[in-house]
Amino acid sequence: MNTGVPESVVLQTGKRKILTATLFAVVIAAAILVIFILPAEFNKDPLGVGEALGISGLSKPAGVSAEIVRKEEGALREDGVSFQLLPFEFVEYKYQMNKGSSMLYSWTTTKARAGGSSPVSFEFHGESHEVEGYVESYSLGEGDREAATFIAPFKGVHGWFWANHGSEAVTVTLNTAGFYTETLEFRDGFVKKQILK
Amino acid sequence: MLKYPGYRGFANSVSHRYFWWAAILMLIPVTAVAHNISGDNARFVEGLEGRAVIPYMYLGAKHMVTGYDHLLYLLGVVFFLQRVRDIVLYASLFTLGHSITLMGGVLLEWSVNAYLIDTIIGLSVAYKAFENMNGFKQVFGFQLNARVAVLIFGLFHGLGLATKLQDLSLSTDSLVINILSFNVGVEIGQALALMSIVVVLGLWRKKNHFHRQAFVANTVLMSLGFMLAGYQFSAYLWA
Repeated sequence: MNTGVPESVVLQTGKRKILTATLFAVVIAAAILVIFILPAEFNKDPLGVGEALGISGLSKPAGVSAEIVRKEEGALREDGVSFQLLPFEFVEYKYQMNKGSSMLYSWTTTKARAGGSSPVSFEFHGESHEVEGYVESYSLGEGDREAATFIAPFKGVHGWFWANHGSEAVTVTLNTAGFYTETLEFRDGFVKKQILK
Repeated sequence: MLKYPGYRGFANSVSHRYFWWAAILMLIPVTAVAHNISGDNARFVEGLEGRAVIPYMYLGAKHMVTGYDHLLYLLGVVFFLQRVRDIVLYASLFTLGHSITLMGGVLLEWSVNAYLIDTIIGLSVAYKAFENMNGFKQVFGFQLNARVAVLIFGLFHGLGLATKLQDLSLSTDSLVINILSFNVGVEIGQALALMSIVVVLGLWRKKNHFHRQAFVANTVLMSLGFMLAGYQFSAYLWA
């Protein structure tokens, strides 16, 4: 048998160097553990470095994710209104909402006389309080219905402009549920504001 | 008398072109993310009834090839082994150790905490790296026989394998044949992993500065071992 070769090479290293290397190994392991692994895997962040690096959210359970569950201070409210629009009449109806708050809505139209639906011109838009005259349009066109989920992109009033360009009277019916605080109705040059309890 | 081929001779016959292939092959396990039998694999195995030799064998091999804790330990074990004979001897001792506890653990339904076992497996990596640095002799003046150590740590690695299998609700029908298949798969995976580790180490050993780099490499290995142990122990505390 080939016995000329030793079983394994033994490193000839001094005690001091070995101890230094061991200390180094422990310190590096502890640092990586505390800085990266604990915040990223176990949501433990003793030094706050994980938060600064933006990795502490990696292990948060999905239910706490701010993207999916956004907690609301205010109460959930429901609202239902109808407007009868004669030919060439229009109305605006809006909700006061905070940035990030959401609302479910559905509106439909019915012909006042013969029944059945009838298209109206509409524009769903928002107006900011903070920036003077800032208006953003979300959805617009001709139609007889729309249903959607809405998340307010900024703090302000968000709602609809409906105009009847047809030759017959039309009723627009809106139903909503959401985290809004006020309603505003603009009609015939008057504003009707209602603070919700 | 049977002559074992010299390990150096084997390494010499491998051209440098293969060094990079081998190095790339070795990186594959590092990219593996989780180290549990998870997701679709788990669902598939739990749905199996009766004997399923090939699926279990595949899972065993996959578990070994993608298991960085086992691979790091193996790297430490063969780091300074010169001859094929010794590599086979140490690998066999490791295999003996982990086969005993893998089979025994599952069949006798030993209940051990997987995270604590994996913590010990992490420490086994650090232990082996420290042993490679000759740390036990230099610092403590005493070293447990390396062959005994590899057998003992083999027992712990086997317990780790057993806890992974126990996580699955296995069908009791043909349990023995299925665990045996898993075990055979583990050995196949280990052989595959060892081959690439040994080839790369052989080529590395021929380079200048190998000894200095070897010391640094074992320091890194020890640090990774501590990291794994800390990670698993944190999981024991908080996961």
